[in-house]
Amino acid sequence: MTQVQAQAETPAAGFDAIAMEVFANRLLSITEAMAINMMRSSFSTQIKERRDFSVGLFDAGGRLVAQGTHIPVHLGSLMGAVDAVLARFPRDQIAPGDAFICNDPYVAGGTHLPDISIATPLFVEGRLEAFTVNIGHHNDIGGPVPGSTSALSRSIFEEGLRIPVMRVCRGGEIDEDLLAMIALNTRLPEERILDLKVQIATNIRGGEQTRELIHRMGAGAFRARIEDLLDYTRRRLALRIATLEGRGQGHFTAHLDDDGIPGGDPVPLCATVGVEAGRLVIDFAGSGPEARGALNIAQNALRATAYYCVKALLDPELMANSGMMDAIDLRAPVGTIVNPADPAPVGSRTIACQRLAGAIFGAFQPLIEPAQRMASSYDVLPSFDFSGRDPETGKYFICGETVGGGGGARNDADGMDGIHVHITNSLNLPVEAMENEAPLMCREYGLRPDTGGAGRWRGGMGIIRTVEALHAGTMVSARSDRHSAGAPGSEGGAPGGTGRIRRNPGTPREEELSSKIARLPFAAGDTLCIEIPGGGGFGPPADRPDDLLAVDLRDGIFSEDHAREVFGHEKVARVLARLKTSAAG
Amino acid sequence: MYRIGVDVGGTFTDFVMEKQGGGSIAFYKVPSTPDDPSEAIASGIVEMLKRHSVDPGDIAYVGHGTTVATNMVIEHRGVPTGLLTTRGFRDVLAIGRQTRPSLYDWGVRKVAPLVERYRRREIDERIDRRGTALVVPDAAEIEAEVRALRDSGVEAIAVGFLHSYRNAAHERAVRDLIAKIAPDIFVSISSEVVAEFREFERFSTTVLNAYVGPRTRKYLHRLRDRIAAAGISVEPLTFHSNGGLLPVRTVEELPVLTCLSGPAAGVIGATRIGAEIGQSEIITFDVGGTSTDVSLITKGKPQFTSSRLVSGHPVRMPMVDIHVIGAGGGSIARIDDAGALKVGPVSAGAVPGPISYLRGGTEVTLTDANIVLGRLNPVALLEGRMKVDRGLAETAIRTKIAEPLGLSVEAAAAGIIRIATANMSRAIRSVSTEHGHDLSQFALYAFGGAGALHAAEVAEECGLDRIVVPREPGTLCARGVLLSDVSRDYVRTALIVAGDAGWGEVVAMGAGMREDGEAWLASEARSEAAHELRFTLDARYLGQSHSIAVPLETLDAAAMTDFIARFHAAHNDQFGYRLDDQPVEIVNIRLKAVRFVEKGAAPEAEAGLTLAEAQIESRQVYFADGWAPTPVYRRAGLPYGAPFSGPAIVEEMSGTTVVLPGQRAELDRFGNIHITRAQG
Repeated sequence: MTQVQAQAETPAAGFDAIAMEVFANRLLSITEAMAINMMRSSFSTQIKERRDFSVGLFDAGGRLVAQGTHIPVHLGSLMGAVDAVLARFPRDQIAPGDAFICNDPYVAGGTHLPDISIATPLFVEGRLEAFTVNIGHHNDIGGPVPGSTSALSRSIFEEGLRIPVMRVCRGGEIDEDLLAMIALNTRLPEERILDLKVQIATNIRGGEQTRELIHRMGAGAFRARIEDLLDYTRRRLALRIATLEGRGQGHFTAHLDDDGIPGGDPVPLCATVGVEAGRLVIDFAGSGPEARGALNIAQNALRATAYYCVKALLDPELMANSGMMDAIDLRAPVGTIVNPADPAPVGSRTIACQRLAGAIFGAFQPLIEPAQRMASSYDVLPSFDFSGRDPETGKYFICGETVGGGGGARNDADGMDGIHVHITNSLNLPVEAMENEAPLMCREYGLRPDTGGAGRWRGGMGIIRTVEALHAGTMVSARSDRHSAGAPGSEGGAPGGTGRIRRNPGTPREEELSSKIARLPFAAGDTLCIEIPGGGGFGPPADRPDDLLAVDLRDGIFSEDHAREVFGHEKVARVLARLKTSAAG
Repeated sequence: MYRIGVDVGGTFTDFVMEKQGGGSIAFYKVPSTPDDPSEAIASGIVEMLKRHSVDPGDIAYVGHGTTVATNMVIEHRGVPTGLLTTRGFRDVLAIGRQTRPSLYDWGVRKVAPLVERYRRREIDERIDRRGTALVVPDAAEIEAEVRALRDSGVEAIAVGFLHSYRNAAHERAVRDLIAKIAPDIFVSISSEVVAEFREFERFSTTVLNAYVGPRTRKYLHRLRDRIAAAGISVEPLTFHSNGGLLPVRTVEELPVLTCLSGPAAGVIGATRIGAEIGQSEIITFDVGGTSTDVSLITKGKPQFTSSRLVSGHPVRMPMVDIHVIGAGGGSIARIDDAGALKVGPVSAGAVPGPISYLRGGTEVTLTDANIVLGRLNPVALLEGRMKVDRGLAETAIRTKIAEPLGLSVEAAAAGIIRIATANMSRAIRSVSTEHGHDLSQFALYAFGGAGALHAAEVAEECGLDRIVVPREPGTLCARGVLLSDVSRDYVRTALIVAGDAGWGEVVAMGAGMREDGEAWLASEARSEAAHELRFTLDARYLGQSHSIAVPLETLDAAAMTDFIARFHAAHNDQFGYRLDDQPVEIVNIRLKAVRFVEKGAAPEAEAGLTLAEAQIESRQVYFADGWAPTPVYRRAGLPYGAPFSGPAIVEEMSGTTVVLPGQRAELDRFGNIHITRAQG
């Protein structure tokens, strides 16, 4: 941060910079130990491999103090559960040995039903001092479609089991009856019980370490250092917000291709960003109505998306705690896709969250320092899965994958090729792993030339992945977006390429599919080709230095024809001539 | 006869020399020569031999740890490299695992592949998951692609085809063709570098090997020539990242094995020292100028990992598992705009370095805080060879840290150390929880230039009761090289479910690997010495994607029941549950071939010394309760078996040990300092 003109507010009386830093490290040791425990002990790939979970520590008042998370979609996702516990139970009804469970987005602060939270109060010498909390994505929570996240659900009742805030432990004993009831409503009951027990144990372990810390430093000092930490985070974010002041408002609209139901109209996602009385306000007015399909963004998913954007755009090192979150106002009109009403479906909100993150990024652009500006990224979480019975083993298989696209160009660099953006960052499924796990064969896995938006800096390229079903009776589902318009460029940059999904490309049976398909039957030898959008360019294409364009052409990042179209004949001819000379020399 | 261990660091090259059969040990240090590290190695050896009047003809062993290959990657100084791969997959290297390197910071970019896109060329070939060749590559096409690569100026070619871990025929055919049409090009094929499934990591490792291959070879030849010119007749061995040594020939072929090997030598050194004094549960704590390396040793064995990043590029190789954080002597202390004091991860490095070192540093570092508080010698370090300026450091801490925070200079300097201690302690806690261990059973082994300076406070913060500081802690990596064996690791992916049918296949694959291992051992210069071949299977419950390593006594037809029982038990140990009815899948077969190297017995400390004679001076040192007159001892003069109480400072050439008030220190007969909490 260079040109910060804002004056730091003075720290509160008693603020101890050194003790706070030591305390922050001790707290992070606790959340790190909780996260490691979740990962080591859980069974499901979602938690163990994809790290689709989050852990955190709250104070007695329900303020988030420290959080450990590996994907931004969980930023702040724990807050809903603690708020729900405190709203549901008066303080005197919370006792040592309790633990609470919940997942419902409408009554218990959840994000979608597969994300189950456990919150565990910590008492020291009879006094409630803290909560240890975690949330984990379970592979299935019931409903008609395996995985419980179909975009085609028409209400939350089609998305699986809804759990309000309930006690899952009393006096330190697990309520096995409740666990059995939850497990029976899911497709993999043993796995559910195993993972839920790991979640319960993780909080107990984090609680023990917090208890040790309180014994070591004293409850008074523990509380004082929490104040220091939250106060510090708040002041630090206030400095960043102050740099935006006087720059007016920024506004941006992204359009989802449809509302989750094939043939649906495009849905606008609007964000307006500004500073009001020192507070950061993000207003989503203008966003489309509640979606018919499961693209609705429940309150906690909205928070996570907004917090991610603020952290990424204003201060990536900012600690995720209530000191940060309390300075941000989110305004989402009731009955819209960003503030749906019970029982609107929310299962596949991730695509909508990605597009919304893109809208918030766009809205921030005029307010942030020019050096930090960037064009739009592909802003989707495309995914596909193949399922069926493997005739060789006789077993049912399901093989799913999310696919990366192009990052937006920045004001000083090209966009990154083939990455996850914004609220997710999952590893791919290697080709060799996929072919060993399921009767499938990958025909192509590469970057898509001509999909990075042209500009002074080019956008990142999207990925192309072509997968063949080896046996008849294979079912294919896929979800993507941005099939109708590419990621916009910035400051004169061109948009990135759009996405598309085809069946049997390059054959007489080739057909283009819509961006959201569910359970399409494939014959043996049929291929699915999913092409992911690229990122937008930054600055006028004419300003791209010849030596960079030469590399683009040499490396086939742009084809000659496309380059002529977007960079102009003259520039391309000049660069090509130079390439030929250097090759000859 | 004598044995020499060498460790090449960024600033210094360290030497340790011991007499074969035991009896004496010598330590030495010279400035490194980064342009050609072999220069400092050879000249340092010559100087050390002269100092100790040892004839070069009496040197029976030279082993060294080097960062030559690693630095080539970090500094982009490898050769132009090409990649030949399966049609449809040339971008695997660029896509990587499709993640971005920083969740929040868009200024952090994905690394560019070591091979540019136009030099990643596709061959029409395909092998399926069973190893069946579906499309056989055409020789004319291969030739054309190789010529195109050669014409583009490449000096090395990596070959990576899908499923080559199962069937290497296509990769080998390409290798043989390149040898014929372009014999001067360095070739690496993925099935020989690392025969494991998951294409990106295998290709990345193979490309990295090719990229550093030609220049590592040149370096090795220079080193060999210089050592020979010094009159030493043995060939130098090179340390690898899995904690063993390799002959020149193997490093020429597989230079990637030496990446990240530096810190591993210290861990091996600590393991051996622990074995000598009967300690098997150890946390290693290696603090240098820019980073702190922490690792865990349990039941006398270091922990291993199968993959790490070298400057952002994955290297899939078994290696000692070391947790690195950006905290070291050069870590910069700053107050941020919202009033918090942060120490690191930015470092002043060796240049410009700490303010007090007078090399142009202007930022307050952890070292400056140690000098201001009298913990580090405020006059000179390196046995007087390097002058320091305490006054400059004090002024900087006063104006930049103390006054803005409203603290005294001492409180500010002590605060910098407290924060660094908290950062380092977090790394230690994370390493122990990751492996599911309770810290209180472990001893903290402090080494590196600054490990012993911070160990006492780190042990208190983490609740560790015992600290061990080996002799000349700053040279422990060189000593680790001396305490290691020659070894090489082999791996092959199986992905076979343990059962009557599959086990036979596993045994057959293992037999093939054993042949390779035996052939390698037989070709090694010291082929008469004792050796060992050890199998380990990476296994998981079918359906999981996370495997664990299960060591075996033997790999034969009868071993299956024992293996399955061991797997269930290991899973229960590591993750807390077992699924006895679930099929067990063998993911990889690993073989370690070891040739034992004869080592000297641990040299014992001199007898007949007294504490009073060892004391150099008494100086004021600042601790939690303020300034205290503190005795400063010379390490080499300390008697063993004579405990002393803190506060105390122990100085030696390569390190300074701090003993806090309330702690007690004592030397064992090998000269290691043991620090414990004083009783009562």
